[in-house]
Amino acid sequence: MANLLFYLMALGAVIGSLGVVSAKNPIASVLSLLGTFFCLATIYLLSGFEFLAAAQILVYGGAVMVLFLFVVMLLNLGSEEGEGSPLEFVRRRGAPIAVATSVGLVVLTFVGILGAPEVRAAEFVAAAPASFEDIATLLFGSFLLPFEVVSILLLAAAIAVIVLAKRERGTAVAPTGEATK
Amino acid sequence: MTVPTEHLLILAGILFAIGVGGFCLRRNLIVVLMSVELMLNAANLTFIAGSRHHSALGDPALDGALFAIFVIVVAAVEAAVGLALVIALYRRKQTVSLDSLDELGD
Amino acid sequence: MPHTDWLWWLLLLPLLGSAACGVLHFLTLKARRSDANAKGPSALAWPIAAGAMGAAFVISLLALNGLRALDASARVLESSAWSWIDTGNMAIDVSLVVDPLSSVLLLVVTGVGFLIHVYAGGYMKGDPGYAKFFAYLNLFVAAMLMLVLSSNLLGLFIGWEGVGLASYLLIGFWYEKGWPAEAGQKAFVVNRIGDACFLIGSFLLVQLFGTLDLSDIGTAVPALLTGGEHSFQLALAALLLFGGCCGKSAQLPLFVWLPDAMAGPTPVSALIHAATMVTSGVYLVVRLNPLFAASPGILFFIGVVAAATAFIAGTSALAQRDLKGVLAYSTVSQLGYMFLGLAAGAWSSAIFHLVTHAFFKALLFLAAGSVIHGMHDEKDMHKMGGLRRHMPRTYVTFLAGAAALSGLPLLSGFFSKDEILAMNFANGGMYYGLWAVGVLTAAITAFYSWRMVGLVFFGEERFDAAKVHPHESPGSMTGPLFVLAFLSIAGGLIGLPPVLHLPHVLHSWLEPVTAPGTAILHGDHAPHLSHAAEWVLLGLGSVIALVFAHKGFYAYKNGKEQDAAFAAKQPAVYAQLEKAWSIDRTYTFWIVQPIKLAAFVIAVVVDQFAIDGVVNGAARLARSSALQLRKLTDGGVANYGLWMGAGAAVLAVIWIAGGAA
Repeated sequence: MANLLFYLMALGAVIGSLGVVSAKNPIASVLSLLGTFFCLATIYLLSGFEFLAAAQILVYGGAVMVLFLFVVMLLNLGSEEGEGSPLEFVRRRGAPIAVATSVGLVVLTFVGILGAPEVRAAEFVAAAPASFEDIATLLFGSFLLPFEVVSILLLAAAIAVIVLAKRERGTAVAPTGEATK
Repeated sequence: MTVPTEHLLILAGILFAIGVGGFCLRRNLIVVLMSVELMLNAANLTFIAGSRHHSALGDPALDGALFAIFVIVVAAVEAAVGLALVIALYRRKQTVSLDSLDELGD
Repeated sequence: MPHTDWLWWLLLLPLLGSAACGVLHFLTLKARRSDANAKGPSALAWPIAAGAMGAAFVISLLALNGLRALDASARVLESSAWSWIDTGNMAIDVSLVVDPLSSVLLLVVTGVGFLIHVYAGGYMKGDPGYAKFFAYLNLFVAAMLMLVLSSNLLGLFIGWEGVGLASYLLIGFWYEKGWPAEAGQKAFVVNRIGDACFLIGSFLLVQLFGTLDLSDIGTAVPALLTGGEHSFQLALAALLLFGGCCGKSAQLPLFVWLPDAMAGPTPVSALIHAATMVTSGVYLVVRLNPLFAASPGILFFIGVVAAATAFIAGTSALAQRDLKGVLAYSTVSQLGYMFLGLAAGAWSSAIFHLVTHAFFKALLFLAAGSVIHGMHDEKDMHKMGGLRRHMPRTYVTFLAGAAALSGLPLLSGFFSKDEILAMNFANGGMYYGLWAVGVLTAAITAFYSWRMVGLVFFGEERFDAAKVHPHESPGSMTGPLFVLAFLSIAGGLIGLPPVLHLPHVLHSWLEPVTAPGTAILHGDHAPHLSHAAEWVLLGLGSVIALVFAHKGFYAYKNGKEQDAAFAAKQPAVYAQLEKAWSIDRTYTFWIVQPIKLAAFVIAVVVDQFAIDGVVNGAARLARSSALQLRKLTDGGVANYGLWMGAGAAVLAVIWIAGGAA
């Protein structure tokens, strides 16, 4: 049962990511990505990492995607000009290389994974879900330094965002996107 | 869930490849950033798969999960800063198309 | 060892003279830059050069004196300057040796050279390259003296090459006209072929003897002869050295440069291509006579080549219209005589003929130069005639030269030529054939010599008297002519035949040098002619010379119709003779043209298309690939992202494949 759910979620994730990449409307891309995140969170849950699943939904879905949506709406981005079909970009110059890269990576994944013998486990026993205590112990124990560093990083990011996105004196971003001095 | 680890890894690979494709092919800067997020998530899934694999084989290892937590945090940070740059760019060029970013060339 | 350093002045004087004349030439050029008609100091070149030659002649006389004071068995003056190459096995010094043979050559080179220098002062007057001419001329003499005086084969070769260089420079002296430059190049290239044989021969000598010292080689030959296992190598070395002689001394395969060399000024033809340079081959053989004597088969081969050369050249001289052309072919023919003498083992006879030939051929060339000079550079005999009234002094001296050349009795040429023919006869066997060819050629020689006299000095004047005013040459030119005429007439006195019971001065003088070769060749029983046979041969020679001289003279003294008659009767023969049996044409067709074609192919096709194409193509490839690669950095972010992605994928491949392996 759980396995079936996994494969469903996997399928969903793939479809979502394809949607991200090929959607004309940026809003559609954002929402596809959100869907992908939900599917991934489910997979994390199925794997027994509840905290991570929660973090995925809260941070990615609740913060990052919201941020993306805000920006898209703020900049009032419509569909990209001139892009007719979702596969319009295939006609671009670098498309063959990009497609080849992607396909190659997929093939590589299969080859690499299926070729390596250690990965195959004859019997796979589902482990017990990781408890919050264990994660907390690790997080504030052996991973304390990265934890603190990441908090500084967050601070720096906050400052950076403010500086970068700050309006220049006298310049306003009108809803139509024209700058007025 | 007794899905073999390979399948998780295969899924991660596919997601990563799609992310690469989007990164290379789309013109919209925001979609490019989202492709990057997609790639990061694929990496996260790989970490999880590893952690799960070792846990299931009787060697409890939560390092993968913790790593994935840090990746989530850093990815969020990166997305924020990236979007700030997008806004700053939009202010100058009134577009978020990648084609407008050619001032480094000749 | 007596104090012999003064011998080096023999080399230094001409070299310094050459350098001084060179300086004068450059000063003249400088003066001409400001004023095109300035004469500059080049008039000084004549006294300087002639003075150097005169001083060298005096030193040669001193050397001769010094030798005479020594005992006959040890007649050697040596002077060693420094040790040049010392490789343990082989030691080569820079040193000079004067022995009887080189003393004879010294006197000829410096004496005749001095006379020609005097003559050239008047001949080349007014030429813009006056000083340059004397610089080259002195350079030539320096190189020739190096050749003659050197004690080892390497020094000799340096002189050998030096005279070749001087010859090239002097043949092409008037290079602005075009064909002299080609003639000079032809001389140089043909000589090169001979020089290659010379070099390989000397390599063989080093292998055989371990030394290049000429006297050491000579004394070491008899030791190598016992046993016979070296006979092939000795023969091969001798043959290769003769190959070098063929080039320098214009024998059969390689004589084609000499007729073309007449493009140079006449003093050059006299000095280089009659008296001295072309005789260096003869000198080489006599110097190494033990080596050649060790291979009688090679000697006979030399005789065959020489006889053929003499005959072919002599017959070609019959049909030439150019005055200097007749003399050029005549020189080739007479050189053939010298080698014929060598082939019979008559070393001193060949040297005798060398000396007399230097006298009368230089005389003939200088007199011809006087004629050409007086006729304002007209060289075609068909356009001359009756000049004896206009140029009496030239006429008289030319007569002396022609008489000596044709071998009229009691003149110098008679004695030397007869001696060679007699020695060939005395050897018997196959040498009778060579003797017969020699006799035939003597007849032809007499004929064409007096043909020249008749066409040039007798008969009616075939030139336009209104346009051309032949005049006698100045005293500076006729003076040497008289000296040489005297020598041509009286020069035979140094080599009187034994039947006359008078001493053969030259033969006994050269005895120490020629004895080893004669010993190897004939052992104790040298070929000997009975007195009766000798008188018969002398008489035969005289009769032939007189008869054919008479025929030649009378056929042509009234005009040039005989040439036309001959051409009409035997057109094919005449055409062949005129072109020297088409040997030169054959070379040009089969060898020179294919090489030029190959050179063109290589220069244009291989070099320009292929090699330049590859090199330029590589450059173009680099450029175009750079232009293409430039597009990677066009500043477009999508592009950058694309290539980053592709690069990351490649890295992934490498890591996974590397990790899996």
